[in-house]
Amino acid sequence: MAAPRSAGQRLDHHTLEKYENIWFGIATVMILLLFVTVLASFFSGTYPSLNGEGGHHITGVKNGRLNPKNFAATPFATPGLRQNADGSYEAFVIARAFQFEPAVLKVPVGQPVTIHVTSADVLHGYFIEGTNINATAIPGQVSSFTTTFRRPGTLNLICNEYCGTGHHNMINSVKVEVQEP
Amino acid sequence: MTTSPVFSPNAARETPVISDAAYLGSLKKVTQYYIVTALLALLVGTLMGPLQALNYGGINVYDTPILKALLKSYYQGLSLHGVLNALVFTQFFISGWMLYLPARDLGMRINMKFAWFTYILMTAGLLVAAVPLLTNNATLLYTFYPPMEGSPVFYIGAAVMVGSSLLVVGQVVNMWLRWKRANPGRVTPLVAFMCVATWMMWFVAALGIVTEVVFLLIPWSLGWVAGVDPLISKTLFWWTGHAIVYFWVLPAYISWYAFLPKHAGGRIVSEPLARLTFVLFLLNSTPVGLHHQYADPNISNAWKTVHMFLTFLVVIPSLLTAFSVAASLEDAARARGGKGLFGWMTRLPWGKPMFAAPVLALISFILGGAGGVVNASSTFAPVVHNTAWIPGHFHITVGTATTLTFMGISFWLIPHLTGKRLPSVRLASAAVWTWFVGMMVFALGMHWQGLVGVPRRALVSGAAQNVYKEMPIQIPQMLTAISGMILLVSMLLYFYVLFRMLLSRRVDDGEVSSPIPYSEVISPASPNLAGASALVRYTEPLMALWGVALLLVLLMYGPVLARLFANAELVPGWRLY
Repeated sequence: MAAPRSAGQRLDHHTLEKYENIWFGIATVMILLLFVTVLASFFSGTYPSLNGEGGHHITGVKNGRLNPKNFAATPFATPGLRQNADGSYEAFVIARAFQFEPAVLKVPVGQPVTIHVTSADVLHGYFIEGTNINATAIPGQVSSFTTTFRRPGTLNLICNEYCGTGHHNMINSVKVEVQEP
Repeated sequence: MTTSPVFSPNAARETPVISDAAYLGSLKKVTQYYIVTALLALLVGTLMGPLQALNYGGINVYDTPILKALLKSYYQGLSLHGVLNALVFTQFFISGWMLYLPARDLGMRINMKFAWFTYILMTAGLLVAAVPLLTNNATLLYTFYPPMEGSPVFYIGAAVMVGSSLLVVGQVVNMWLRWKRANPGRVTPLVAFMCVATWMMWFVAALGIVTEVVFLLIPWSLGWVAGVDPLISKTLFWWTGHAIVYFWVLPAYISWYAFLPKHAGGRIVSEPLARLTFVLFLLNSTPVGLHHQYADPNISNAWKTVHMFLTFLVVIPSLLTAFSVAASLEDAARARGGKGLFGWMTRLPWGKPMFAAPVLALISFILGGAGGVVNASSTFAPVVHNTAWIPGHFHITVGTATTLTFMGISFWLIPHLTGKRLPSVRLASAAVWTWFVGMMVFALGMHWQGLVGVPRRALVSGAAQNVYKEMPIQIPQMLTAISGMILLVSMLLYFYVLFRMLLSRRVDDGEVSSPIPYSEVISPASPNLAGASALVRYTEPLMALWGVALLLVLLMYGPVLARLFANAELVPGWRLY
């Protein structure tokens, strides 16, 4: 903004050019700072980044793709949580009009869980209320991300991608509980 | 205001004289047809608006007998609202506005048969696509993501309608090239320059959606191919889908840069800066679409981050615009005796609808743009992606910045084209202010609900579970419901003024009574390239810059799409509405 000047005195070309350059500099620095701060939060792991190329190690899933009409050959045949031999947790979720399977996903508190989501029909959204877990469920593809639930309790799992007339009723839950030893 | 001598470079531009009255009449008529068709689409589209606002106010009106007879579902109403407002209204208005302006600014003759053919084709596409939309055979929302499948008639109609806009691109670019040949060594006048750059940007942007619809969706919906890869389609959609928002806002920028200073009584700040802004948009508007796909799998985080960086860069020309327009307004206010650091604002003609509409639009866009930077940040996006926050955001960008500016333009452009008079400045002003206030309240309610976790595009008022009744959203729900009513009043006022104007008699010569409101310039560009500043010389070769823009998009999308095509997984279509 220009400095106050007396009434009637109007802006001229030279004053403007100076302000323009200052403004351009401020704008550029601001944008770069924003970018750096986003990257910083990215690397400090404050959000469950989608593994860009998810689901590569899953049986029956190739390049993150699978046949949505044949889940039998994949772990999606039995949706839900499982513990691997090395003690890590994985969960498999199917979205279909108009519910998620399993309807209640039980996950351990305080342990990292890798969640794999796919769809059996159209696009769905996998959004856990009150968290930043927000992924698209695509038929024929697997979305995978790793997250840690820190507090026990039941969270609403809401479909947030239009999937037909029953879209607004596609709400299930995630139950975070202390793991029985 | 002092009158400057005619030869002064700072004087307001005067349009070259067109002596052929029949040609000028035809040019004005085709423009008027585009604008009126656009506003009729806006009428039907905005009529749906209050219904969606009430839904987010917790009131489900879609189950009332009257509406049940008209619309099959909330989702059909929402599809109509999105397609008519964001695709039809914008594209028709822009096609008229940005065909007329360069033709007048350059004083060129264009082939009127071709111009009318384009209008008829675009309208035919619209009418064809409207049938499945109205009969619930294309309830796919604005984004029509496969594998949700609509009638092939919808995809074909939409392709014809959107494809027609490319004919306008051809006609405007051809007109500009003919002008360049006839005027070697001359600098393109500012308004024509901005229009040509915007059309070039739109051509690069439209390639994505045209490819998706013509090569993937039409064959699939006709049953010629077994399936569709939803992620490839979505990626092509957002190739266009983000750049299209600049296609909506740049025509408003043209009005803010070139004509708003005149309405305010000020001057354009800097022509070279305006040119730079539009070139930056030409280069940088399109290769940013992946920021709509942070939540999608099978696209690497590296590419998402590159697109995020480019999205941030495209903020710079908007910040330059904010500076320029604010400086124009300050210049105007000080000329009227405005004083102080902010006190000058009171000296602006706030009661003038041609002035208030673009300025309120600009204020709205500052807030909308700031929210946009938030949405584009990949670490913040998962918190708001597909929540009510997003419609809150784009109703203060396209829903206010663009729509309100276009309303303001219609108040002087229709008298200019037809020689009719604006029937009531007070009612026009009331329409403008209520739209602004209504949208601000709507944005507050929706952003708030989105942060709490209410999803977008859902009949939340009709949900079977109690999830939304248990959320702490009573206040924002009330705000959203009230905003819908304010906006209903606003649109009734606006369309009352518009129809009274359109149905009145021609009384003036529009060229005299309501000329194109060109403004004076503080820092003009020299009329000849030889004497122009470096910035003007480097921004002038738009054809070369167009090529660079295309190359940049291919670089930023090529590898991503190549990988998706290599791993394509075709899935069958579904109809769940």
